[in-house]
Amino acid sequence: MKLKHTALVRAPREKVWKLVTDVPAAARCVPGVAAVTPSGAGKYKGSLLVQLGPVRLVLDGDVALTSTDEAAGKASIRADAKDTRLGGTVRATMDLALVDKGEDTELRITSDVQIAGRIGEFGQPVIQRKADQLMTQFAECLARTLA
Amino acid sequence: MTYDYHEPESVAEALDLLARHGEDAHVVAGATAFTLLWRQGLLRPGHVVGLRRIAALGGISGSSGGLVIGATVTHRAIEHSAEVERFCPAITRTFASVATVRVRNQATLGGNLAHADPAQDPPPMLMALGAEVVATSTHGDRVIAVDDLFVDVLTTSLRAGEIITSVRFPALAPGTRATYLKFLPQTADDYATVSVAAALRLGDDGAVADVRVALGAAGPTPRRARSVEGALRGVRPDAKRIADAAACVDADIDPFDDMRGSAAYKRDMARLWTERALASLVEAP
Repeated sequence: MKLKHTALVRAPREKVWKLVTDVPAAARCVPGVAAVTPSGAGKYKGSLLVQLGPVRLVLDGDVALTSTDEAAGKASIRADAKDTRLGGTVRATMDLALVDKGEDTELRITSDVQIAGRIGEFGQPVIQRKADQLMTQFAECLARTLA
Repeated sequence: MTYDYHEPESVAEALDLLARHGEDAHVVAGATAFTLLWRQGLLRPGHVVGLRRIAALGGISGSSGGLVIGATVTHRAIEHSAEVERFCPAITRTFASVATVRVRNQATLGGNLAHADPAQDPPPMLMALGAEVVATSTHGDRVIAVDDLFVDVLTTSLRAGEIITSVRFPALAPGTRATYLKFLPQTADDYATVSVAAALRLGDDGAVADVRVALGAAGPTPRRARSVEGALRGVRPDAKRIADAAACVDADIDPFDDMRGSAAYKRDMARLWTERALASLVEAP
């Protein structure tokens, strides 16, 4: 499933770059994320709680910053996670691009998400909505953090 | 994959079980929604609290011109209740249109509301009639307008430790007419592609005095069509005004693509079925 999100962050590009490529700091802006800890160069372990009414997914896994190009304002992140209690995996590749917009920065995130197991029962419309909510809150939090 | 099944005989006992087991407890009445989620593997509670042995949550009664239905009353019992039909026949028809007899024999009113699937039939009708939910916790009763109950797909504004105990309908002003229309292009027992509930009363001057419209399956939650209502209130409804008002529904809904149709198709159908529902209420009886 391919997802695209765009958000305007009211801060200059270098500040946004510094925050989004600092994985533990950026992860604090993702609602439902519990402690993210380093597990090697550019690699981290973390967990994400996603709740949909009575259904609670706890996605435990690895996050890695796979490429960064500060001059171009581009970075790639790969996440592999699974919910061991319900059974299901999520693999995501996210390409981030930062674009100058005057004094602000546009954050473009293109994600390719593969979902297997129980979690897929929800179907794309519901998963897409949940992803949209997460991204919106993520961008709002980045903006607040940099304000 | 097992859970402990509890059958409390009083609301206090049920609330105590919820307090004791917290997030590891799941409340059921008919358990139709729970069984689906459980079989899909999306719910794995350690404790399930069944409410059907609590006598106080059953029963249908009139109260100062209104109606109160207990949370564990089944869809079938509502469909067959003379009291409900006397109060508002549109409620009877709405509950009779849910799924199949087997489901209606099992599924309850409180369970339907707590499940918060956006395509369910009763919620739009309850919204059109201004119904309220009574949610009970150890802190007492909290009254929530059905309009304010639904937050997102499968998500309600109920708080941890609260149980829906009854649904209250206010008295209807004399002359109020109501209907529920469900667009089912596939099978009769399917969820609606879109559904529309409406309640309307004309004043002595022939203009719309009161109107409430709500849609199901047209967004992440059932929702009121306030733009449609605003366009109708105070006007004498003729075919053109009804069509114009129904076109306003576009601003009130947020449908998404699924197996029952694309978002664009649902927008078209929401307008069409809103128009049909309103037209049926202003035609001469």
